[in-house]
Amino acid sequence: MLLRNIIQRSLTKVRVNVQLQLERRNATVASPVTLDENVVRPEAKELSKSDQKFNSLQQRFVYPEFLPNPTLEWRNPIREKLERIDMMRRRSQVDLPEFYVGSILAVTSSTQHAVSKQTRFLGICIKREGCGLRASFVLRNVIDHIGIEIRYFLYDPKILKLDVIKLEKRLDDELYYLRDALPEYSTFPEDMEPEILPDGMPIPINTTKVVMKPRPWYARWERTHFQGINRELMMTHVSEKMKMQIPLHEKPWEKYDLMKQYRSTIPEEEQKDIFAEVDSELHKLELLRKKQKRKRAFVKPLKSS
Amino acid sequence: MAGICNRLLGLNSFKGLKVFESTVLQHGCDCFAVTQFSGQVRHKGPPKPKLRFPLWYLQKTRVNYPEKITPENREFIKEVGYEKFGPPAVISGISTFQTNSPLKDQPLQKGVWTPKSRRCGLITRKIGLYPMWSKSGEPVWTTLLQVVDNHVVKYIPPEEYDPARKSVVYRKNHSLGVLLVGAESCDPQKFTREYCGLFAPAGLPPKRVLGRFFVSPDAALQPGTPLGAMHFRPGDVVDVVGKTKDRGFQGVMKRWGFKGMPGSHGVTKTHRRGGNIGGGGEKGRVWPGTKMPGHMGNRTRYLRGLKIWRINTKYNVLYVQGLGVPGGTNSIVYIHDTCLPLRKIKDESKAPPFPTYDPSVDDDLPDDLYDPEIHPLDSPSISFEEAKK
Repeated sequence: MLLRNIIQRSLTKVRVNVQLQLERRNATVASPVTLDENVVRPEAKELSKSDQKFNSLQQRFVYPEFLPNPTLEWRNPIREKLERIDMMRRRSQVDLPEFYVGSILAVTSSTQHAVSKQTRFLGICIKREGCGLRASFVLRNVIDHIGIEIRYFLYDPKILKLDVIKLEKRLDDELYYLRDALPEYSTFPEDMEPEILPDGMPIPINTTKVVMKPRPWYARWERTHFQGINRELMMTHVSEKMKMQIPLHEKPWEKYDLMKQYRSTIPEEEQKDIFAEVDSELHKLELLRKKQKRKRAFVKPLKSS
Repeated sequence: MAGICNRLLGLNSFKGLKVFESTVLQHGCDCFAVTQFSGQVRHKGPPKPKLRFPLWYLQKTRVNYPEKITPENREFIKEVGYEKFGPPAVISGISTFQTNSPLKDQPLQKGVWTPKSRRCGLITRKIGLYPMWSKSGEPVWTTLLQVVDNHVVKYIPPEEYDPARKSVVYRKNHSLGVLLVGAESCDPQKFTREYCGLFAPAGLPPKRVLGRFFVSPDAALQPGTPLGAMHFRPGDVVDVVGKTKDRGFQGVMKRWGFKGMPGSHGVTKTHRRGGNIGGGGEKGRVWPGTKMPGHMGNRTRYLRGLKIWRINTKYNVLYVQGLGVPGGTNSIVYIHDTCLPLRKIKDESKAPPFPTYDPSVDDDLPDDLYDPEIHPLDSPSISFEEAKK
């Protein structure tokens, strides 16, 4: 009895430690649900010093591509610095606003082969990846009953305009499962009206649970733990044999793997240094964006005759 | 010791013992001496070595034994070093010494560039890869090579240069001299006295990396001359040399891209093996050069004809075409003008900085120099003109 008690106590200790670690140096990997609760949007107001520190730590969610790839053998401080300089140069030319996986974006880009030399594509962001200048995102929409996905490099100079039509988050970090969901979940009209979120509001989280199409699928979704899939309905498409295989592929120990967590994230101190370099410029750009947003939100009253 | 060996071999000849002793003294290796002794003595005197190490191939590092130096003395030694080589400084992102006037003597007379002259190369570190975009909107993937604190250490004119390994058709009137270039200044206490002595005539601190470049005599440089990224210009074509990543002992699938064998359908014990390695009959042996498992990587590899798309003058970084530069990130890469006959500069009006870039020519260099085809990221977004109706 005594022994069991001791073991249980030590286990809970480990769990607490893990949670602490997650809170401390978490950037990308941990489950998004826990992160969302903490997110407070950076405000345009002048912030006190302690607030600013907090703010610069929140930047990792708003501008994740400023953090370098944590793989140690690929890191070089000078390359990272040069990359950041180039990123800020590009940002001075085009407005690249804050958006998340699950937000609806419209990208206007120049295309050599289009008649008007420009194309506009609207879709839901289903993936954001890459660091530095190679940061990219994938937009998905269903047009004429055909699913279309386009990958854009965020810092590509061909991007003329990036409009956030609807700023929101989903329950997951990537939404590739929309490929195998019913088409209505990834269908958005191309002339969608932009929704402007009031200042200081937390980012809304869309808790839609998508219904999957019958198999065949792009991946083994029944083995994953995506929150945004309606699991009960999905399991109706899964055979008994596949259900038996689910526990074989589970890796419940991974959330306790502190070294894995450490290797796949940038330490807090380094994050602060990185954002200290670019914060002032980003803040200026943000203020500019706020001004333009206010202009857009204000509708000129019509003259009543 | 000779006695013990003789006893082991069962020898007691007095003559044998004498020869044996002399060989031991020469080579300092027991096994070698034992094999030497088994045959007849044919040579009179020691044979001339076919292979010699070059003169800069010296014992570099020393054993780091505890020297029991007091902290005050340690500080003093540091100060002496700073007095000799200048105070420590971070120059273009690299920690080094701030050597104010490295040139002891008058600089050599500047030659005039001709299509036949060969310039010095640079020692760089591969610091990563990232994309740029051309003016037509296409991504251009580049490798970033940072020139790491390069200085000329020594110049050997062609008459004095005696190569360590002569080729079969060795030209006696060899027309190329040798420039020894060092990169990354270090604390002299880390190295041996003889290694530090290599740099003393040039008034330089010891360098971590050395490189040798064949140059034509008109491109010779004064020892102590600093070399930077502006040695090249955007648009120039270069060759790079580096050591590939060490992958260890690998099988044929990874090393040579063999297909392996099926994973199932009755196949046992041979899924990743190479299969047959030779025929029978007259060719009944393994032919030389057959692709087999073995050590992969850690070999010197060349990549020729890479264009320089951009130069960062602040951090001395060259943005070189492509992702195939040998070696991993933070590995050493040597870079020099291309030797490809169709991509060499032949026009004298397009002569490169010769013998190297003179920093006193223009004071206010921009931080970034681009090839005209590249779209600088601080210029407005790319937009194509509409076709005329």
